[in-house]
Formats: sequence, C-alpha cells, structure tokens
Amino acid sequence: MADIGYIALLLALVASIYSAIAFVLGEKGRYQALIESARNSLLAVYGLVSLSMAALVYALVTHNFQIEYVASYTSRDLSLPYLLSALWAGNNGSLLFWAWLLSLFAAVMILQKRDVAKELVPYAAAIIMATQAFFLITLLWLSNPFQQLSFIPADGRGLNPLLENPGMIIHPPFLLAGYVGFTIPFAFAIAALLMRRLGDEWIITIRRWTLLPWLFLGVGNILGAWWAYVELGWGGYWAWDPVENASFMPWLVATAFLHSIMMQRRRGILKVWNLALIILTFTLTIFGTFLTRSGVIASVHTFAESPLLAYLFLAFIGVIFFGSLGLLYYRSEELKGETEMESLVSKESTFLLNNLLLVGAAFATFLGTIFPVISEAVRGVKISVAAPFFNQVNGPIFLAIILLTGICTLIGWRRTSVRNLIRNFLWPLVAALVLGIALVISGIRERYAIIAFFFCSFVFFTILYEWFRGTKARHRMSGENYLAAFFALIGANRPRYGGYIVHIAIILIALGVVGSSFYDAEKEIALMPEESMTINNYTLTYDNLDSYETESKTVVTTTLSVYNRGKLIGRLTPEKYFHRSYDQAVSEVAIRSTLVEDLYVILVNWDEDGTTAFKVMVNPLVSWMWIGGGVFFLGGLVAFWPERPKLPAPKQTEARK
Amino acid sequence: MKKIFLALTLSFVSLPVAPVMADSSAVGDISEELICQCGCTLTVSNCTHIECGSRGAMTALIELKLAKGQSSEQVIQFFVDQYGEQVLSSPPKRGFNLVAWLLPFAAILAGGGVISIALKRWVWRGRQSPIMATAEAGEQDEEYQHRLEEELAEFTGKGFR
Repeated sequence: MADIGYIALLLALVASIYSAIAFVLGEKGRYQALIESARNSLLAVYGLVSLSMAALVYALVTHNFQIEYVASYTSRDLSLPYLLSALWAGNNGSLLFWAWLLSLFAAVMILQKRDVAKELVPYAAAIIMATQAFFLITLLWLSNPFQQLSFIPADGRGLNPLLENPGMIIHPPFLLAGYVGFTIPFAFAIAALLMRRLGDEWIITIRRWTLLPWLFLGVGNILGAWWAYVELGWGGYWAWDPVENASFMPWLVATAFLHSIMMQRRRGILKVWNLALIILTFTLTIFGTFLTRSGVIASVHTFAESPLLAYLFLAFIGVIFFGSLGLLYYRSEELKGETEMESLVSKESTFLLNNLLLVGAAFATFLGTIFPVISEAVRGVKISVAAPFFNQVNGPIFLAIILLTGICTLIGWRRTSVRNLIRNFLWPLVAALVLGIALVISGIRERYAIIAFFFCSFVFFTILYEWFRGTKARHRMSGENYLAAFFALIGANRPRYGGYIVHIAIILIALGVVGSSFYDAEKEIALMPEESMTINNYTLTYDNLDSYETESKTVVTTTLSVYNRGKLIGRLTPEKYFHRSYDQAVSEVAIRSTLVEDLYVILVNWDEDGTTAFKVMVNPLVSWMWIGGGVFFLGGLVAFWPERPKLPAPKQTEARK
Repeated sequence: MKKIFLALTLSFVSLPVAPVMADSSAVGDISEELICQCGCTLTVSNCTHIECGSRGAMTALIELKLAKGQSSEQVIQFFVDQYGEQVLSSPPKRGFNLVAWLLPFAAILAGGGVISIALKRWVWRGRQSPIMATAEAGEQDEEYQHRLEEELAEFTGKGFR
C-alpha cells in the first residue's frame, strides 16, 4: 500500500510538470491538442494524488503501523473519525492533504464552464500545476508520508490527546482549504499579468474563487478559537500565537482584496493594488505553512522542525513574492489608468481607508510575529512578543475598521451630499448614542469598551437601517409584503447583502471579544471538599474528587455545585486526563455557557490532604463569538452562492402563436 | 487502587497546591506581563499545564515580592534580571523595540498620506473632466428606488457589485 501511495505521488509529479509545460507551450504555439493533453494531465494529477491519499487513509484505517506516519499518529484504540483526522495531524500527512486539495481545486477550476477569461485558463493552470509540483517534490523527498519502518510495532503512539476533540475533525481541513484555495486567484492574477490581459476579466473570474478560501479560512480560524477555548484550558480563545497570526494575516489581506476588487469593477481603479494584494495573500499563505513547519518561531502549533524544509519553503516564498512583484513592476505602465473621482466623501474613499487599515493590521501582526527574529538579528537580544503587544497595537486599528464598516455602508459611490449624509446617518447614530448612554448609565465605565460598543451598535444600526429602507422601497414598488420584500432584496443582490451579513457577524464577534477582554473575572483558589468560593454572582461548592479508568487513560474528575444568587443551577465537572501513551496531562475544562456569560472552571491540581486548586473564570459574551461565527458562515455562503441562470426571454414569434 | 493511583498522579504533579493569597489583581497583572518558562509560549497567567514546573514557582515569587512591599515594576525587573528580556510578554517600549510598537502606526499614517494625496488628485482630475463637470445631477430623492431599479435591470455583472 505504501508503494502504491508513493508511486502515485511520483507519477503525479511527472504529470504536473508535464501539464505545466504543456499548458504554456500549447498556449504560446496555439496547439489546441497540446492544451487538451495538459488538461487531461491536470485531471490525472487529481486522480493520482487522490489515489495516494486513499492509500494513506487505508493504511491509517487498517492500522498499518509499518508506515512511520501511521505509527506516529494513530493507535488501535482510536475511533474512526480520529483515525481519519490523523491524515492532517502530522506534517507529512497534512502536506499530502494540501496537495490533494490543490489538485481538487485545479480539477474543479479546469472543468468549470466559463464565458469570461477563458484565455487565462492555460497559464493559470500552468501556475497551479507548478505549485502542485513544488508540494509533490516536498512530499516525495522531504516529507514522505509513506516512509516505512524496518519493523512493525504492535501499536502506534496514538494521536496527541489535545487533538482528540471534534475541532480536530473540522478545524484543520477548513484552514487548509483556505490556505490552498488562494492559489487559484493568485494563478489567474499572474496569468493576467503574463498575458497582458489586465482588464476586469480576471477579477470577474476569481471573485468566487477568492470568496471561498476566504470563507474557509475565516471559519477555520473561528473553529480554532472555539477549540482553543474548550480544549486548551487557559480560558482564552486567541493567544496571538505565531501560527494563529499566520492564518489571520492572509485572511485580513484577502478581506482588503475582496473590497478593493469592487473598486476596480465599479470604477476601473486600483488595478496595481489589487494584483499586489492577491500576490501578498498567496505569499502569506505559504509563509504560514513555512512558520508551521520550519520551527523558526516558537509556537504551540508547530510540527516537527526540519531545516531543509524551511529552506525550501523560504526559497519558494522568495520566488513567488519577488517574481510576482517583478512581473507587476514590469507591467506597471500598462496598468496605469486615468483615475477620476467626483468627491472626497464617497464610498471609494472609505474603501481605500478600509484597505489601508486591513493591510495595516496584517502588517502589525506580521511585524509582531517576526520581531523576535529581527530583535535577535539586530540587537542579539531574545525577546517575546505575545498577546499584550498584539492587543495594544491591533486594538485601535480594529476599532477604526469597525467604524468604517458602518460609514461605508451608508455612503454612496461617487459622491454623497451633506443632506444625504445627515439623512443616512441620523437614525443609526441616534440609536447608537441612546444605547451608549444606556450602557454608561448601567455602570459600564471602561473607556475602550464604551467606544467599542458604541461603534458596534452604530454599524449594526446602519445595516438595519439600510435593510429597512431597501425593504420599504421594494415593498412600495412590487407590493410584496415586508418579509417577502426583505428576502427578495437579499436575493436580488446576494454579494452585497451577504457582505452585510458578514459585517453583522464581525460585530457579534467583536462584542464577544470586548465583553470577555474587559469584563472577565478570574480567581484561582484551593478548596477542601465542602468548601465554597464566590466569583461575581456565582458560588461554587467543591463536592468531591474521583477517578476512573478508560481504555486509554485515567481520568481525575472533580464535581462542583454551582449556585447563582443562592439558587442551585447545576454541577460542573472539570477533569484532568492522564493518557497512557502521552506524558502530557490534558485539562478538560467545565463550561456553563449562557448568552450573557460563561462560567469556566479548570482543575489545576490537587494535594494528598484533599486540597484541590481550581481556576475559575467568568467570561462575558463569549457565546456571541460562536454565534457570530455561524452568522459569518451564513453571510459568506449568501455572498458566494451562484446566481440562478437567467431564463431566456420568450421569443416574439412564439409569444404570438 | 484509587489511593495508589492518586499517589502516582501526585508524584507526577510536582507542584504543591499553592492558593493565591496576595492581592490577586496585582499578581494577575504581573503574570500577564511575564512569559511562563515551561516552554508553553503562553503568559504566566494563561499557562495551565499540570506538568508546568515554572508557573507555580513564578507566581509564588511574585506574591512573595509583593508581600515584601516591592512594586510591580521591581518584581518585573527581578524576572528580567533573571531570565533576560524575553521573559516579558511584550517588548518594553524603548530603544529598538519602538520599531515594533510604532512602525505599524507610522506605516498606516504614511499610507493615509499617500491616499489623501491620490484622492485629491483624482478629484481634481474629475472636476477637470468635461463629462463629470456637466453631469451635475442633483441628489435623487428616491435614491433607494433608483438603486433597486438599477439592480433589477443590471443583472449582467456575474454576481458582482
């Protein structure tokens, strides 16, 4: 089985290199047959990489421990879903999954029917196949998932217990699909540059191809945050760890890109900027992979360190980044346009500012992530850059982005008069002010939180107001009832209204972040059984400590009765798992979640005399982050969903019959 | 059996149970500013690894020094002297570190400057343009109605607005 997988990869490499060359030669010499053959090779790459992945999945499921990867990441007691998830638990398997996703996206791209940018497909496909070849080379010679051991172990080491969480089944595939997916828009952008087809056609083609990985990456990040919150047991959801940053940066730049391509489409401006953004997005995805797999920067997420792999990725990043920017510079004369605008107060201005801030946030995150390396190189002093830095630097930038989200919703393209501004902004502003004052009266004093809540509510009301006016106009014109008019409004322009739904999701997530950052309470306390502790309105009484054995681990479990204002509301059971195959103990936190706040209890440790230490937290509004994640997915889908093909107009002659 | 197991896990758990007695908010603030030395890359306040041998010791030291009347700055400086600057969760705002703290804002301000110059130039160019100069169409009262009509009519943008 290992041989089948390896040989399939080898053949896929040959096919991908052939395909890339044949696409270029076929396009240059206008040999349709050669292009057809390149196309078939591309499909063959998909088939071969699928075969290789199927071989690894088969080995995982059938416990073929002679394969080192299977022995390292699985064991006989692992259930089927986690056996399958072991595919992306290690460096080599996840690279194979990466290569498979890329071959899948390439196949979908090539089979897609398109009436614009057909001419760009051969070059774009060649670039995708070249990228594919890079990953296949890495897999074959540096990260071979089919490496065999000289003996067959009786059992494998098993999956890292921290990874045994439903998050493991969905978070990595979403994230990887996000990373990989950006190859397609990047390839079309480079194809457009190479072929001097620098109009709007590449932008039209890649909007959905950008939206999809952007959605995957966003959802992947939110799932990662949720997983960290429920599994890692430190009470937070985002630690600004280098690898978290690595997946956040391309998302930020892609967000800027999704906004700025609207400017090119509507007004024909920012052509160079759009190309630069998609080049940057793709480079950042490869940079993220480099960070995860090189061990250059300490992180909780890193796979095994491999210097050779690090150099290879670094070289690849260099080629992509400098090669693409060089090409962009070379073509810059052809990209110049006579940009004209009517007014400074317009959607265009707010979009430019939001682009600046999104890229600025990505830059701040990048600088913070690599600053330990810079500091060591420049001063020879090792330093750490952790969450407090990122919160302080990115906090104000994100606040400004949120405010702009509200402003650009209600400001028109081209120009907006003062009268219009007042008319559009009056009610949302009044509503947000009323809410802000109510918050101050209710005792909220943290300046940052008040500003953030005010901005969030302002954005929320602007979107509601926009929906209300659109629905009303539609109702008046078509006579539909308000509900039907509302859904018809959204259906008629899914990209726009999907975007607004995403904005609402961001507001919900921001609420969760602000609530849990400024109003969290935390206590660490040692209790004897029957003793109680109080935090905010909760009283927790420590009932008992117990332990039990399962097939793979020993579980130490504690029970606490939870009272809210004296009334018993339930019992929480924070636990610690001691897996036999892993040295590291795992905290299983106990969370009582409501829409208002989470009560979060971690079992820290215990002593022979029965004293047990707990860390207890109250995290306000965290649930809204997960609700926001769901809304984000929904909004992204609404914006992505293909429009129904228009029915052809009835022919006059038929109508007369 | 249970006792043997508990003894086993206790030997595994090297830390004594150390209830936090000092002013917990000051301890919490300081432990936010320090990186735990167990290799977890998290701040002291966030590390909850049961095998972590450093969090308990660091927290106990923080409490001890606070109880002795040292200020937060003195306590933090003690750790910097012990472990070097990398014990701090964010680089101190001085010297070369200011690059990390200020460069993002400087870059955004510079970008803002470029955008404002470009915008002014584009608007100036727009005002010179004969097409735009004549197209002084007044604000439309029924803006939304028009937008609606526009959307219903213009449906050829491949889902692109």
